[in-house]
Amino acid sequence: MADDSLSQTPTTTEGMGLFERFLSVWVALAIIAGVLLGQFAPAVPETLSRFEYAQVSIPVAILIWAMIFPMMAQIDFSAVLGVRRQPKGLIITTSVNWLIKPFTMFAIAWFFLMVLFQPLIPEELASQYLAGAILLGAAPCTAMVFVWSYLTRGDAAYTLVQVALNDLIMLFAFAPIVVFLLGVSNIQVPWDTVALSVVLYIVIPLAAGYLTRRSLIARHGIEWYDNVFMKKVGPVTPIGLIITLVLLFAFQGDVIIANPLHIVLIAIPLIIQTFLIFFLAYGWAKAWKVPHNVAAPGAMIGASNFFELAVAAAIALFGLQSGAALATVVGVLVEVPLMLALVRIANRTRHHFPEAETQPAAEARD
Amino acid sequence: MAIEVSDRAREWLKNKGGVATVRLSPRHGCCGGGADIAVAEARAPEAPERYTRLDLDGVAVHIDPTLVDQGLRLDVEGFLGLRHLFVEGASPTRPKE
Repeated sequence: MADDSLSQTPTTTEGMGLFERFLSVWVALAIIAGVLLGQFAPAVPETLSRFEYAQVSIPVAILIWAMIFPMMAQIDFSAVLGVRRQPKGLIITTSVNWLIKPFTMFAIAWFFLMVLFQPLIPEELASQYLAGAILLGAAPCTAMVFVWSYLTRGDAAYTLVQVALNDLIMLFAFAPIVVFLLGVSNIQVPWDTVALSVVLYIVIPLAAGYLTRRSLIARHGIEWYDNVFMKKVGPVTPIGLIITLVLLFAFQGDVIIANPLHIVLIAIPLIIQTFLIFFLAYGWAKAWKVPHNVAAPGAMIGASNFFELAVAAAIALFGLQSGAALATVVGVLVEVPLMLALVRIANRTRHHFPEAETQPAAEARD
Repeated sequence: MAIEVSDRAREWLKNKGGVATVRLSPRHGCCGGGADIAVAEARAPEAPERYTRLDLDGVAVHIDPTLVDQGLRLDVEGFLGLRHLFVEGASPTRPKE
């Protein structure tokens, strides 16, 4: 039975484009390019850093909007109406994402960075890394989950609802969670700075995306919007991400050259957190007898992060040269290999879960 | 059956003109990834020739040919002016490159 199920499932990376499949490679190359830029052409980042308004770096703001806007422009808030469908899956994922994940991330990152790795990382830098981890933990994945859902044969309707719901909750919950956990960590960030970063990097792109979606669909129709407009706008996200990382590491060069081991040290708690959250949501779903096509994407949503937002918030709150920004980038670096490992686990354990009542035919996937 | 339409969806669709489209909507991931999600709308498609037309008890359903025979179910949700169609039983599919 298990073999039958597996034969209907896409191979682990099938359906992933070249960019996202090798995301870790591109991020590593962006780190190298950024460090080289900072070391051999420091005038470039120094000039760019002069373009500021109200302490907001204009080039960075443009790049971050380029990363986030395409995702916001495809959110379908009408999907939120479907919260009564798959209620168990929604309860599990929403609880894990917002009531558990930020706090386990804080606890694990604090233990490793502030206690276990104390002899290896200066205290001030460790608290910056902790701040980056907190930002990652408070930003659940909202878009890449469609890929993970595809790779685990997830329920499309459930995935749509969960993504729309997360985006809505994020609007209200991200800032209070971040401020609370940073406060617990004795990392002082003024409320107005957090509020400004939420407005700049969540509210404005979300409003712009919503208005763009509404007006263009009204003018050209939904099929044109999906198949023409979004096809052109979608690739802006990875381009914005990579240029942001190059710029970020143009400022981070000295830290990386002096402490390359820090990347590994930051990665350890992030990896442990990812597996913990996945197994928590997946185990809960199994205990509640949730079908696999909801359990798997639900657990993947909890495990993965909206790292563009985390990177944006880290830069806005702590600056391009901060340890917090570096920590969020390590999140990007490890994301895809980790999530692919979880896809394998989810597909190999499919037979432990009940099948959905409505199940797509196998041949349609071949 | 190619696609099942619930009784309440059928009644609701009849009031909306008796036409539905079930198509694949591309959703982009945060770092370049994407998948096609099956969505349903109470309207005729822009290019009907690209769809398979099914007449189901007074409702014309235009369905993407790749979704035919997947055992899908069309239903309606929401309340008052916020009611809309949704399609149940479809997994995301690989986007057309």
